[in-house]
Amino acid sequence: MATLVQVENLRKEFGNVCALAGVSFRVEAGEWIAIMGPSGSGKTTLINILGGLDMPTSGQAIVDAIDVGRLDESGLTRFRAQKIGFIFQQFHLVPYLTALENVMLAQYFHSTTDEKEAREALERVGLGDRVEHLPGKLSGGEQQRVAVARALINHPKLILADEPTGNLDEANEETVIQLFHELHREGHTILMVTHAPSIGRLADRRIAFAHGRLVEVPASLKTSP
Amino acid sequence: MFWRLLWKLLRGSSGRLVVAILALVTGAMVISALLNLEFDVERKLTQEFRMLGANLVISPGHDAQVNGAAPAALMNQSEAFAAIQSLKDPAVVAAAPFLYIVERAGNTPVVVAGTKLEELPELEPAWRIEGQWTSSRENQIPCIVGRNVARQLHLALGSTLLLSYLGKTTQATLVGIVDAGGAEDNQVFMGLAEVQRLAGLPGQIGLAQLSVRGTAKNISEFAARLAAALPSYEVRPIRQVTEAEGDLLNRIRLLIGSMVVLILALTALCVLATMAALAMERRQDVGLMKALGGSIARIVTLFMAEVGVLGAAGGFVGAILGIELSRWMGQRVFGTAISLRWEIFPLTIALMVAVALAGALPLRLLGKVKPAVIFRGE
Repeated sequence: MATLVQVENLRKEFGNVCALAGVSFRVEAGEWIAIMGPSGSGKTTLINILGGLDMPTSGQAIVDAIDVGRLDESGLTRFRAQKIGFIFQQFHLVPYLTALENVMLAQYFHSTTDEKEAREALERVGLGDRVEHLPGKLSGGEQQRVAVARALINHPKLILADEPTGNLDEANEETVIQLFHELHREGHTILMVTHAPSIGRLADRRIAFAHGRLVEVPASLKTSP
Repeated sequence: MFWRLLWKLLRGSSGRLVVAILALVTGAMVISALLNLEFDVERKLTQEFRMLGANLVISPGHDAQVNGAAPAALMNQSEAFAAIQSLKDPAVVAAAPFLYIVERAGNTPVVVAGTKLEELPELEPAWRIEGQWTSSRENQIPCIVGRNVARQLHLALGSTLLLSYLGKTTQATLVGIVDAGGAEDNQVFMGLAEVQRLAGLPGQIGLAQLSVRGTAKNISEFAARLAAALPSYEVRPIRQVTEAEGDLLNRIRLLIGSMVVLILALTALCVLATMAALAMERRQDVGLMKALGGSIARIVTLFMAEVGVLGAAGGFVGAILGIELSRWMGQRVFGTAISLRWEIFPLTIALMVAVALAGALPLRLLGKVKPAVIFRGE
C-alpha cells in the first residue's frame, strides 16, 4: 500500500501553548486510523492541519504528496475541496439548506453540482426519503449521515472525522459506525478522532496522544477486532 | 446552485434583512422623488416664472430713428415683428407691441397703451380679468382698463369711454377690467391701430414685450439672436425675472443634491449596521463553506450578490413609491403634477445597489474568517 499521509516532526504552537510537539507518523492508503487521547492532547489540531484548516508552526504534513504547510490560501482552498472530506462532531450543516442542498454545497465548491448524484449519496446513507428536510427537522444521527454523504460526494482521498459519534445516542452511533465500516471496506482512508475505546478498537490502527506528543497505545486498545 | 443558494440566503435571513430592505426602500423612495423633482424643476420653474409676465423687452436704441427723423423714442412696428418672426423660435409664447400716450377721459388724464389685446392673456398670465380681453364685435372699439381707472372713472363692463388726444377723439367700449397688481392698474389698454391713429403715429410703437419660454440662459441666447437681427434697437431680458429664476434653480438643485447625498449616506449606514449583525451570524456558515473548499471570492460573491439583489429590489420598489411621492410633492409645491421621468428608475436602482454594496463592507470581512478558529468556538 502507498503512503497517503506522512507527518514528520509536526509542531503547532498557539502563543505559549504547544498543541503538537514534534509528531511523526504515516498512514497508508485505505487504512482506518483512530486518533485517541484526552481533551487538549492535540488530536483536533492534527486533524485541522491535515485538512488544511490550520497551518503547522514547523514540520511537515504531507497528504497525497502535497505538503499542506507550503500551500497558500488558494492552494489550501483547492486542497480542501479536492482531497479532504470532513465529518465534524457538531455536524456543521447549513441550517437554511435542505439535506440535499447541504450535499450539493460541497459539489458546488468542488466543481459543478449534480443533483442526481447528491440524491444517491443521501440514499446510500439511508436518507433517500429525507432529502428535502432542513437540518432542524432531522435527528442527530440523520444530520451526521448527511455530513457523511457530504464528505463523500467529491470522492476525497482522505476522510477526517472529528468525534463523529460524540453527539449521538447509541442507536445513531451504531448506524454511523456501520457507515464507516462500509467506507473502510470500499478502500477509503479514514482518520477518526475518538474518545470512545469501543470505537477506537474498530480501526486498523490507533494513535494515542498526550500533551501534544504521540504516546504508546494502552494495551487495552491494542487489539483490533 | 448559485441562484438556489442566493434564494436560500435571502430567505434564511429574511428577518434580519427586513431592516436593511426598509432602509433601502425608504432611501430609494425619497431619492427617486427628489431626483424626479430635480429633473423636472427647471421646466416647472420656467412655467412659474412665465406667470410673472414678459421677460424680454425691445426698445428704441440710442440712435433709433423713425423714417430717418425724430421722434427717436419710437420703433418701426413691422421691422421689429418681422425680426421676431424671422427667428421662428417656438419658445416665444407671446409678443405684443406697445405705444403709450396720455389721453384725457373727460378732464382726467389717463395713460393709454395701444397693444394687441389678444396677446395680453399669454403675455401676462398673472393678470386677473373681469370680463373679456377683447371683443370681436365690428361696430365697437374694445378697451380694457386697470381696476384703479375703473374705480376712479366709475366704469363698469359695457360702459363707454370717451377719450381725446390732441383734438382727436375715440369712443371705446369697456370689455374688461384688469387687476395687474402694478402700474397697469392705472392704465387703459386699446387696440394698437386706434392709438396709433389718435397719436398720428401709424406703424410706430414705443416698445415690444415678449414672453419667452426657457431658462435664463435660453432667454439670454434668444435675446442675443434678436439683437443681432435688430441692430438699431435695444433688446434686453428683464434681469430681475431671469436672474431670480436662475438663482432659485441653482439653490433648489443644491438643496436637492445635498439631501440626496445625505440620504444615501444614512441608507448606507443603516445597511452597514444590519450587515454587521448578519456577518456575525454568518461566521459559522462561512467557516464551514471554507472547510468544504469554498474560495473567498466565491463565498464573498455570493454574499455580495445577495446584497445587490436587496439593493435592486429596494431601489425598484422605492423608485415606484418615490414617483408617487414626487407627484404629490409637485402638486403641493407647484400646484400641478410632476412629469414622470423614466430614467429615474435605473438611476435609483443603480444608486441603491451601490449603497447596499457600500453598506455590505462587514460581509466582505467574512473572507478573513479562519475555519479552524470558528470550529474551536472562538
